[in-house]
Amino acid sequence: MEDTNLFPKWPRVAAPPDFEERVMTALARRRRELPQARRSRAFRLSLAGAAAALLASFIGLNVLTGPDGSPSGLARGDASGAPAPLAITEILDYGREARGVSSASRPVYLLEQVSFASNTLAKY
Amino acid sequence: MDEQHLIGLVRDGDESAFSEIVRLYKDRIVNYLCQLTGDYQRAAELAQETFLRVYFKAEKYRPIAPLSSWIYAIASNLAKTDLKRRRRAMFVSLDDLPPTVDVSTPSREASDSGLVANLRLALEGLSPRYRIPIVLKDIEGYSQEEIAAIIKRPVGTVKARISRGRNLLKKHLEKATGDGFAFAKQELYDGRY
Repeated sequence: MEDTNLFPKWPRVAAPPDFEERVMTALARRRRELPQARRSRAFRLSLAGAAAALLASFIGLNVLTGPDGSPSGLARGDASGAPAPLAITEILDYGREARGVSSASRPVYLLEQVSFASNTLAKY
Repeated sequence: MDEQHLIGLVRDGDESAFSEIVRLYKDRIVNYLCQLTGDYQRAAELAQETFLRVYFKAEKYRPIAPLSSWIYAIASNLAKTDLKRRRRAMFVSLDDLPPTVDVSTPSREASDSGLVANLRLALEGLSPRYRIPIVLKDIEGYSQEEIAAIIKRPVGTVKARISRGRNLLKKHLEKATGDGFAFAKQELYDGRY
């Protein structure tokens, strides 16, 4: 690599004359403020933790409880250790059934004498 | 007193040992930060914060590198953050400024002239990525290995950044001597030359 210094005899600056005193004063101030800052940080963290716990419990209760307040299927399954029974629902269209009856052609009944005795008087 | 012994005492809360470290390094750190930021007052503030961090983070120091490298690393990180913040603030405020306002750093000294003034402006226009290794190498006199330890990058990366930064500075100086002092500070910053 080309090793050329572009800054020969570059002017240097020194620290301000009271620099050490300023640093020590700032150190004392920072040490005083540090416990307060730590307490404030701990308070913020505990507040955030409480909010998170509240949210988690709210979500948990919503998942484990049904809309009517009774334990949901998930909760029952968890409690017994056995799988919850599967409900099968069959849809019945009563309207269609009724329509079928009303729109069907009416039966025609033929009245026939079934007596074995001959009757010559019978006419069709 | 040995520096390792001093930082050990600081770790135990010894303020006189801390004061000794401040006395040993204050001029070097203020000068380094002044070259990086281009602002003496800002450099003094950042140097103060650097030493406060040395005190409060003393237990994190590991004696695998010299104490000076650790202090310079803290100062470099603070300067980098400050430069980024100021650059962002400058972008916001420039929109409101009339085009005739001089937006160069106000710390430029009247005694600076010619090459020094041009170099100082070019250095201020350089990205911290190149500025920090160049200042550490050419002004503070650190070796490439020491710079690698300070900025926590491989030696090859340090070499490349120094070389690239010097080329950017040279191009700026050629441009400044060729056609007056018109150079694109933004292009230098982004390394697009």
